[in-house]
Amino acid sequence: MRQTIASLKKGEKAVIRDFDVEAIPLKLLEMGCLPGNLVEVLQVAPLGDPLYLNINGSHLAIRLETAREIAIDPLTITLQ
Amino acid sequence: MVQEILAYIILAAAIFFLVRKFLWKKKNEKNCGEGDCGCH
Amino acid sequence: MTSTKNINVALIGNPNTGKTSVFNQLTGLNQQVGNYPGITVEKKIGFCKLPYNIKANILDLPGTYSLNASSIDENVVIEMLLNKNDKLYPDVVLVVADVENLKRNLLLFTQIKDLEIPTILVINMADRMGAKGISLDVPYLEAQLKTKIAVISSRKGTGIDELKKLIVAYQSLPTEPCLNASIIDPEYFNRLRKTFPNQLLYKLWLVITQDVNFAQLDRNEIRNSYTRSQTELKKIQQKETIKRYQFINEVLKDGQKINLATAKDFRIQLDRILTHKVWGYAIFFAILFVIFQSIFSWSAVPMDFIDSTFASLSTLAAQHLPAGVLTDLIAQGIIPGIGGIVIFIPQIAFLFLFISMLEESGYMSRVVFLMDKIMRRFGLSGKSVVPLISGTACAIPAIMATRNIENWKERLITILVTPFTTCSARLPVYAIIIALVIPEKRVLGILNLQGLTLMLLYLIGFGTAIVAAYLLNKILKINGKTYFVVEMPGYKLPMFKNVSLNVLEKTKAFVWGAGKIILAISIVLWFLASSGPGNAFHHADQIVAAQHLSEPLSATDFENAVASQKLENSYIGIMGKAIEPAIAPLGYDWKIGIALISSFAAREVFVGTLATIYSVGDTDNENTIKNKMQTEIHPDTGQKVFNFATGISLLLFYAFAMQCASTLAITKKETNSWKWPATQLVLMSGLAYLVALVTYQILK
Repeated sequence: MRQTIASLKKGEKAVIRDFDVEAIPLKLLEMGCLPGNLVEVLQVAPLGDPLYLNINGSHLAIRLETAREIAIDPLTITLQ
Repeated sequence: MVQEILAYIILAAAIFFLVRKFLWKKKNEKNCGEGDCGCH
Repeated sequence: MTSTKNINVALIGNPNTGKTSVFNQLTGLNQQVGNYPGITVEKKIGFCKLPYNIKANILDLPGTYSLNASSIDENVVIEMLLNKNDKLYPDVVLVVADVENLKRNLLLFTQIKDLEIPTILVINMADRMGAKGISLDVPYLEAQLKTKIAVISSRKGTGIDELKKLIVAYQSLPTEPCLNASIIDPEYFNRLRKTFPNQLLYKLWLVITQDVNFAQLDRNEIRNSYTRSQTELKKIQQKETIKRYQFINEVLKDGQKINLATAKDFRIQLDRILTHKVWGYAIFFAILFVIFQSIFSWSAVPMDFIDSTFASLSTLAAQHLPAGVLTDLIAQGIIPGIGGIVIFIPQIAFLFLFISMLEESGYMSRVVFLMDKIMRRFGLSGKSVVPLISGTACAIPAIMATRNIENWKERLITILVTPFTTCSARLPVYAIIIALVIPEKRVLGILNLQGLTLMLLYLIGFGTAIVAAYLLNKILKINGKTYFVVEMPGYKLPMFKNVSLNVLEKTKAFVWGAGKIILAISIVLWFLASSGPGNAFHHADQIVAAQHLSEPLSATDFENAVASQKLENSYIGIMGKAIEPAIAPLGYDWKIGIALISSFAAREVFVGTLATIYSVGDTDNENTIKNKMQTEIHPDTGQKVFNFATGISLLLFYAFAMQCASTLAITKKETNSWKWPATQLVLMSGLAYLVALVTYQILK
């Protein structure tokens, strides 16, 4: 099962893998949500929605349903 | 009486203004209708 | 050679870059806000004196992240930049960027450059560079981005003079693009270029992807041969975004250095508390409470002052102008009409002072973040919070504040339910009825019964708004994709200049928007109340004299009695009597009927009308009105008119009824159709009628 931003917990970081261009507002891409960029979950609202994220340096909040559309690769802690 | 004429002019202006505000359907060239253009 | 024409300067940039600050720094008080024709987007223009006697018109465009428009606001930006014949077409564009978010801000910059308009990059918030460990190689950046850069701090006021010099020298700015648009999809763009050799490639691209009118070219020409499906176009847009960011990353690699060791960040600490599960909400509600308390206590004094000033003006006018119809119109219709508008300025100004400060500081985004999920259960958005709160001062600026809600359904529902919140115009009505029918007792030793009733009415207002939203959400079948994205800006101290200009702007919007309508209706109502058909009206003085043959009245009492007789037989009196059968089941008589009709202009007119009806004349002593109303007996039932049942029925009627005409007008404007305000009028009036009816029948 593929992991998405929605499955990240507060404080976790990951790298954006891909997403369906149709399902995400273009604005989000323009704010830095692009494959290969870093995403960190800064805060999760009570009730789990929306998510406060740091994407590529941009601090923004998106709804859970949008977060579910963005697939990620979790960061491997060990770097060779 | 001058006063009466002026007063009625003001009344007419007020009515004209209200009619225009509420009943006039303006022609909008770039109007998308209900506000959501569905452009995206 | 001095040019007599003004230069057109356009200000563009991401939200939260301090663009408005820059605008304010350049234009000071020389600015005005209007509307673009046909749509509800604000058009902000200002005027600035530059060195060498050159003058500039500065146009503050709506904040946007890119030229790919996702809202009507952003559409306006493109329309203007593509149309060379537009009289506001800029001679030079200032792209405002925030030094902390340079990477993202430059996306828009590269797009503007592709339109080959002279462009200056304004890097704002220079005062934060030290704290964030950021240093820039400006000459390198200028060369790579093919532009001139002004590093400024609009907060501290530094760099503005250098910026002005750059603007004056606009003709020497390079106009080549820094990125080649066709590398996005070479095959597609080459075909475009061959067919339209005279047009800018990027311009063509924008026309194809946006819903935009291009002056020199008919959209259909391009559409037919180059159209791809929405998805394919979006894929190309995605490629465009990626390519641009690649270019920007290259440039910033050497042009910008960030030393994380010296960077400090308060944002994280503050956010931890302000968006906390428990503390976040607690703090928000505490702030709300403080705001409302302050607004009420601070406005009391100015409101009293305005009240007595206009009353004096009215009397002065009546005394010093030559007697006649016009003088009466001025003294009794126009001056009180204007007074009725001005008296709400203190409350509105204070409310927007607070909202402005919260927005400037960056806190509002956190509120939206906290409230979004809850609001969505009722078909609203987190961004509906500001309009709903603003509605407690006045619905007009509140409805205008819904413009930043992206989802049309959420925005529509917000517009439709905001009028349910208790606006300040209803307070005089509530106050006098409560004083008449609610005893001055204390409950549980500390809670004042009258105060409690008022609070209850406020809660009913909010509660109804929420319930109505819930129902509308279920009933309305409108599909809208959710494109909710909220930027969480860094926390900043609100700047006095920005806040005060914003308050000024919102207050003006209320005064012009609602004011004109209230004044016009006041004039019409005055005529309806001061003229009437038939003898009963024209010979009022004789009739009254005949009624009191046995006990002649004093001069003042006689005057008041004649006024009352005239009102009863005026056009509006006839209207009031005509609707009496319809409102009798609610516990109202024709006198209340008149007041109901006239308060459609503005709720507070209710009290003034009652004063006239009960022949209190010019006295605006509240006690006198109250006493008169208290002792009024209904001729048919022999009971008090303002009894408990009628009082509560009236209170609830005003809680639910469609609010003033101005609200209808602004709803029509913002939803672009008469369907919605018409529905509101019918449904809300119907609801008010039913509730008042049931209440009276149960309580009587």
